[in-house]
Amino acid sequence: MLNLDNLNIYINDELLVSDLNLQINKGEVHVLMGKNGVGKSSIAKSIMGDKNYLVKGHIYYNGEDITNLSIYERSKRGIYTISQNPIAIEGVTNAEMLRASLSDKNNAPVDIIKFNKELENICQKLDLDKSFIHREINVGCSGGEKKKIELMHMWMLKPSFIILDEIDSGLDVDALKLVSNSIKEYLEEYQPGILIITHSNTLINTFDDYYVHLLNDKKIIKSGQKELANEILNKGFKELSNELDEHLL
Amino acid sequence: MNKILVSDIINLCNDSYIVNIKNDDIKINVKGNVKLYLINEKIGNIDINLEDDSFIDIYVFNKNVEKNMVFNINQNNNSHFNLNISIISNEKREIIVNNNIIGNNNNSMIKSRMISNKEIIKMIINVKVFKDTLNNIALEDLKGVNNGGCVHIEPNIICLSNEVSANHLTTIGSLNKEEVDYLMSKGLNEDIAKKIMLKGFIYSNMDQYIKDLEVKDA
Repeated sequence: MLNLDNLNIYINDELLVSDLNLQINKGEVHVLMGKNGVGKSSIAKSIMGDKNYLVKGHIYYNGEDITNLSIYERSKRGIYTISQNPIAIEGVTNAEMLRASLSDKNNAPVDIIKFNKELENICQKLDLDKSFIHREINVGCSGGEKKKIELMHMWMLKPSFIILDEIDSGLDVDALKLVSNSIKEYLEEYQPGILIITHSNTLINTFDDYYVHLLNDKKIIKSGQKELANEILNKGFKELSNELDEHLL
Repeated sequence: MNKILVSDIINLCNDSYIVNIKNDDIKINVKGNVKLYLINEKIGNIDINLEDDSFIDIYVFNKNVEKNMVFNINQNNNSHFNLNISIISNEKREIIVNNNIIGNNNNSMIKSRMISNKEIIKMIINVKVFKDTLNNIALEDLKGVNNGGCVHIEPNIICLSNEVSANHLTTIGSLNKEEVDYLMSKGLNEDIAKKIMLKGFIYSNMDQYIKDLEVKDA
């Protein structure tokens, strides 16, 4: 599905991530962990095609080299991101944006009745008031509402690869539970590849299996499974990185 | 809703009107609570006199109408003047608003949303609060998007009285790149993303009546 091949990521000539290799297959959940500023979000933004980052190496998606494709082209191929603080857009409603997107995707006008019914069902599932459908995107919304709105978009657009960039930050216990369950349900129903960036294990513990990659000093220094996440959270990034350094020496 | 043809001088009171303008210079006297819609009208000079205790809401939507417009508004006592101007233009345009607050206890709110696709749109707002007046409020909220053209705004509020609350907000810029990227990440191509944003920008200054009319793509 997604293959990062020898990826080097720069911003303003500064190397942020070096020689990154990562393969994420359909239905797999991968978790990137690492201390603040280590380049996790830069990886997420580079996969999505953010032009602020210079990328050397290759990003393959379902066998196709998408390294030089625009954000739109990547989105059209099914890549989708939810960031920790989704932006608000005044004057553009959720329904309007989704209608335009689905119409472009299906190359046909949207069946409004079906569209509205589907959106209302999603809102109900996400415990989101139906009025959000016709409200401006994320305008005046709390952190929790914004995450739910992004999930509403996800359920409507049905992406095949999802990047969750610290989606669990700033959520209360109930909201986090709802968001986690919704993502798990989506995984079970559509089997997307998922890349999660997080600092806690609350969201990732929702999943039965997942892969964990520890990022430090521009590189992935250790990969593993559930146990690695627990080790990281128990020992902390610094202690674990030092241990790995000593081991390598 | 009343549709009226205005050719010279007219008295309006307590209703909503869609105005068709026949001549370059018109004079409107307002008594009571009035709402005016000027949709794609070739507006020249409009003089409006607000009588004591009168309210007027004016909505102007203007897409590629090749004419400059001048509003001269006099407010006397206890009046409320609310002007919403929305303009999309490929041509050179000039809009002048002269708002004289002569008496006491008046509210003035001038709001504009302008998109220039090619040439310059120049907007000059002159709000003057007269000497020895009391408890007046003058607000300006003026925004423009340079979408291939250029928007120029001169927001002037002249206060000759100490008893006035006045504030202005003016923003001119291009479309927010981060917002365009966000919409592209949701599956909208760049062109459609920009169109939707421009439409949203203009719509934010309109009431539902105009939105329901044939005011389509920005």
